[in-house]
Amino acid sequence: MLRPEQMRRLLIAAPKGEIDTIIRELYRHNVYHIEDFVPESESPDALSIGHPLPGASDAASALIKVRAIESVCGIKPEDVEIREKLPVSKVRAMIETDLPAIQKEVEGLVSTRSRLEARKKEHEQRVKELKPFVAVPLDLELYRGYTRFTVFSGHIRHDVAIDAPHEKHFSDKVDGNMIVVVVPNEYREEVERTLLGAGFQAIPVPGGSGVPADLQESHTGEARRTGEEIVAIDQKMAEIRERHTDFLVACDELLTADVERAEAPLRFAATEETFISEGWVPADQVDRIRDALEKVTGGRIYIEELEIDDTTRVPVEYENPSFASPAQMLVDLYSRPLYSEIDPTPMVAIVFPIFFGLILGDVGYGAILLVMSLGLRKFIKGDEGRMLLQVLSYASVSSIIFGIIFSEIFGASLPWPTLLFSRHVSIGAAAGGHGPQITELLILVFWIGILHITLGRILGMGNSLRSHHGKHAIKGVIANAGWIGLMWGILFMVWGFYALPLMPDLTGLPVVVMGLNASAVVGVVLLVVGILAIAQESPLELVEVPTVISHVLSYARLMVVGLSSVTIAMVVNYIAISMMIEPYLEAITPVGVIMIIMGLLVFLLGHALNTALGLLGGGIHSIRLQYVEFFTKFYSGGGKKYNPFGMKSKFMEE
Amino acid sequence: MTDVVMTLEMIQASQVGTKAIAAALAVGLTGFASAWAELTIGSAAVGATAENRDVFGMVLLLTVLPETIVIFGLVVALLLLF
Repeated sequence: MLRPEQMRRLLIAAPKGEIDTIIRELYRHNVYHIEDFVPESESPDALSIGHPLPGASDAASALIKVRAIESVCGIKPEDVEIREKLPVSKVRAMIETDLPAIQKEVEGLVSTRSRLEARKKEHEQRVKELKPFVAVPLDLELYRGYTRFTVFSGHIRHDVAIDAPHEKHFSDKVDGNMIVVVVPNEYREEVERTLLGAGFQAIPVPGGSGVPADLQESHTGEARRTGEEIVAIDQKMAEIRERHTDFLVACDELLTADVERAEAPLRFAATEETFISEGWVPADQVDRIRDALEKVTGGRIYIEELEIDDTTRVPVEYENPSFASPAQMLVDLYSRPLYSEIDPTPMVAIVFPIFFGLILGDVGYGAILLVMSLGLRKFIKGDEGRMLLQVLSYASVSSIIFGIIFSEIFGASLPWPTLLFSRHVSIGAAAGGHGPQITELLILVFWIGILHITLGRILGMGNSLRSHHGKHAIKGVIANAGWIGLMWGILFMVWGFYALPLMPDLTGLPVVVMGLNASAVVGVVLLVVGILAIAQESPLELVEVPTVISHVLSYARLMVVGLSSVTIAMVVNYIAISMMIEPYLEAITPVGVIMIIMGLLVFLLGHALNTALGLLGGGIHSIRLQYVEFFTKFYSGGGKKYNPFGMKSKFMEE
Repeated sequence: MTDVVMTLEMIQASQVGTKAIAAALAVGLTGFASAWAELTIGSAAVGATAENRDVFGMVLLLTVLPETIVIFGLVVALLLLF
């Protein structure tokens, strides 16, 4: 807790003959984080990047095939429920025997489907082309093949009169109207001018012969039939998916593992006869992996534990109690801690739900979110999503608890008075009791802020001792203490001058010098010493001094965002219940029933909106207080993720 | 002076009204300021997310940073009213 998992740096060297065995063993254990070998100018000439194992390209091309089949069948390995685990040997045998057949079948289906789709599109296109001509009672062959006549066919704004010998058909039954005019060639230009004057747009006459309506019908029928064939093919695909999903995902897993193993030497340094690899292993796994490697190679391996000289290169794996681990996601969203740093996850795990509850303290909304976070667990499969839901469910429980304390359910009050300070805003008819205790609530959240920031600064001292040495470490500790002194100095000064609720009243202390009482003097001293302490590390830091006040004030959001959500809830209740439902309940009339239904609708919609706002506001503002106000005091982040070489088998068993 | 007579009730009523106007201005103007600030950040955030999906969490947070402005406005308004 508070520290990432301890890591050891290992150097493995062995003859190339053992490389396959060693990679296999490392992969099986899934604990070795490979440090990629990067050839540099100062590294010995004899060292170069290793070559992939034989079979790498075969495995890779097989994997591409499997992924292609998965993608056309719509199989996503991460979303597949595990039904039964297949033995590795069986999967390997099936890759030889079954995979080519499946691939052939799928390829055949895909190509047939794309052919059918093209045909369907063609028919649909023909239907579209024929559509305007259906309105004209002429066979298609009558539009073509004249030497002495010209045929105009197209859309037009309105019917026109043509003063030349002609045959004309006009229809306003189709979009944009349809006109067909046949005139002797000598009148062509004249008629064309007339037509263009009415906004004529020529459309080409579709090929083929016969009555357009019949043709259109037959093409529509064809398109429908092709569509049915496509559906049949989709069904076949679904059958394949149903039958082979287990095998395909297992295949994917096996081949991915093969490819990763075969390409591992690319991350090692190699000489003519040997290879060298550097990597990281959790401290409690070192002995196990060392013994295992020595056993499989029969001692033909050299393993050395190296000093950790640069802590920024160490991969970081969280080590948290189970209640805190979902909050790792929130910390990762900001940045993974450095190896030498304090891991703030447990603090975030405790404080985040409390802040969320303070903001959204309402039994009703809390219950909705709790049900939602538990219900969505069935549908969201990814690790991150699950963690987020876990965090959300803790947060909703906390909001139910604070709802009980604040006596709130959907903005209305519970049968008991508030146990802490009232957040009940008086609106319209809901007035009664005493209004919200703004000042008390404000000072309560400022206290939370002061303590949270002080904790951050104390952690900052710890981090400074850990990440720096000698003079730098001491300077960092003094500067952090200076920030604490500055903040509490201001507090003591305020206490010396003003009596505030929920804060110690020190105005009565005896005056010491220049009209300042003891508390104010202590405050001034702390403030001056604090500023000096900050300046000794870096005078530039003094620019940040106003943040002492602004960061504490920022915790006001804990109260204000909550109050705004209470206000919205109360407004919704007032409109829905007091204005739309209650007045009509006394005597039921038809209008009254409609109003009551509308009122219920307003009630539901309003509270749905407020739940969404509460989730967003509560979540974002609580996490912001962690990131901006808390983390900036001690946390730098930027650690590398621990990513061991290997895989947890999901669909296969040994 | 003219013959306008100000009773105590009138003065009290106008005080309540002035307070309400002040509170409305505090929330309204700071809300406008927040929105203005979020406008720029929001469009940059959408651009950044389009480039790299992973930064979504971070930029969502950056987008709501200026919300502090309206929160202070709301604090002032609440203190004025209650």
